[in-house]
Amino acid sequence: MINYGGIMKSCIKFISFTLLFLSMFISKSWAEKVTVITPYLAQPGTQMYVEGFKNEASKKGWDLNIIDTKGDVAEVISRIEDAVNQKVDGIVINVDPSQIAAGLEVAAAANIPVVGMDSGADPLLVTNVTSNGYAMAAETSVYVANRIEGKGNVVMFVFDAFPPVQIRGVIADAVFGNFPDINVMDRITPDVQDGGIADSRAKMEALLTANPEAGSIAAVWAAWDQPAIGAMQAIEAAGRSNEGIVIVGIDANPQARDAISQGGNFEASIAQDFVGIGSATANAIGRAMSGEEIKSKVIYVPTVLITSANVGD
Amino acid sequence: MKILNLIKKYGTLIGFIGIIIFFTFNLPSTFLTAKNFINISQQISMLAVVAFTMTVVMVMNDFDLSVGSMASLAGIVAAVLFSMGYPIWIGILAALFVGVIGGLFNGFLVSIIGILPFVATLGTLTMFSGFAFLISGGRTIFGRDIPSEFSSFARSGIEISSLDLKIPFLSILALLILFIVWFILEQTTYGRRLYAIGGNTEASFLAGIKVKQLRLSAFALTGVGAAIAGLMYSSRVASSNPTQGSGLMLEAIAAVFLGMTMSEEGEPRVLYTLLGVLILGVLDNGLTQMNVDSYIREVLVGFIVILAVAFSSITKKRN
Repeated sequence: MINYGGIMKSCIKFISFTLLFLSMFISKSWAEKVTVITPYLAQPGTQMYVEGFKNEASKKGWDLNIIDTKGDVAEVISRIEDAVNQKVDGIVINVDPSQIAAGLEVAAAANIPVVGMDSGADPLLVTNVTSNGYAMAAETSVYVANRIEGKGNVVMFVFDAFPPVQIRGVIADAVFGNFPDINVMDRITPDVQDGGIADSRAKMEALLTANPEAGSIAAVWAAWDQPAIGAMQAIEAAGRSNEGIVIVGIDANPQARDAISQGGNFEASIAQDFVGIGSATANAIGRAMSGEEIKSKVIYVPTVLITSANVGD
Repeated sequence: MKILNLIKKYGTLIGFIGIIIFFTFNLPSTFLTAKNFINISQQISMLAVVAFTMTVVMVMNDFDLSVGSMASLAGIVAAVLFSMGYPIWIGILAALFVGVIGGLFNGFLVSIIGILPFVATLGTLTMFSGFAFLISGGRTIFGRDIPSEFSSFARSGIEISSLDLKIPFLSILALLILFIVWFILEQTTYGRRLYAIGGNTEASFLAGIKVKQLRLSAFALTGVGAAIAGLMYSSRVASSNPTQGSGLMLEAIAAVFLGMTMSEEGEPRVLYTLLGVLILGVLDNGLTQMNVDSYIREVLVGFIVILAVAFSSITKKRN
């Protein structure tokens, strides 16, 4: 007994599967190929970049390949070489470009555009998409100046040895210097071996002891969140939370957000739009792949000031 | 029966050729090209150097788990000296010296003190890594601190203008080390004695082979190999990072094991180690080009290593 129905069914199944595969193959071969290579996919920030990138890439119908080299920078070079060999249309990297120049040169020789996703600028990159460190520092320092109504003693926590943080200090110096009644009483570089909180706390405790009268310290401006948290802990431990000392940080890490939501001295920090950086990177590489010349070597994605008003969003 | 023997003997090689054929069909225009294979040779050069010199200790049934940390440490030592303004040759010599000393220390622990290689080199793995962090202060040394002459080595090669190809110096260096290790292991009495120790340590000792000295020197060779790989890595990324070599150790051991499945006696042979390294490198390259997820790639590579070794141990048992 031959089961014709069964044979027909399997024939149809076979044909539809073949068609499905064929259509997948065709659409794949027509879609533009973009490869994203990062050694840091395990880090939360990078995952948000990649999430933003993926969303944008799927809208554009790209054939996307995301490669995690798990901390191995040399492998980033190898994978760039593979992507170039595979003749992809565009490459996105998320690692210091000066360390992967060997791979960037290979891509440049093949005329394949490479865009940095918060990687640092480099002549071999079409552009680098990141947050504006200058603007972030300007927002928080102006927030401080306005909150203390342009007068009082300000403590600054800086770290000039690390360029991305150094530029934040430069801007805060300029803003505070522009208010005649604001006095930068100390410009502290904390020891960051322990993460930056403990030593900042110790330095702040010393300052509080040296300036015991209420109102002698109006605000603490920190170039990143950890010193701000250390300063807050010192102020709380000294029982001086009610003096209205304004504390601000930068980066809006979870600990800082938690402190801001408590409504205490730690009033503001600034958040980078990681997902936004990802989607802006996708737009940049898309423009580069279509042959558009991108003039600026850096593209900035706006940041958001986080205060008790929007910390819950 | 003959075919079975053939598969037994050349199973891994057949597997390798199978992988090549698979990628050639799936990537018709980009995989089987001279340029891609030159690429692969450069990509695997650092792993290859570590795996070749790892073969030297594995010949004696020993292990060296500290090679990855040594590669990191050597790169850091050179970079720190560069950043202090010392000339390139001093940085390189110092890194190689650290490799010799570290290797001798491993050898001392294993052959003189008599600690199991697994335990001794696990200890030095941590020590060397700690030193790398200590000397560098935990940071990556890059930028102006690394002389451009040093980093351009990894970007240059011998141009063959008639074919429009460039044979990278990194690949040439790896080949040179392959030749040296092959010569030492296969062409000298020293090498034959190492194999004798691997065959039967007791008997070798009774036969008058200076087991202790030989093991000591073999570990020193492995240490130097790791240091060379570390320098190659630093040159390729124009920087040194205290964790840069950490991925090398397990892959090197996997490569030697893959190679061992080729030899009838199950001994490590450096030319077979080359095949092991090639399998790993070709898989990485081909699967990346086929857009296979990097985590799936990792699972596949591990599975293939197990498959090859399992296959060879099953067929050998039947023998």
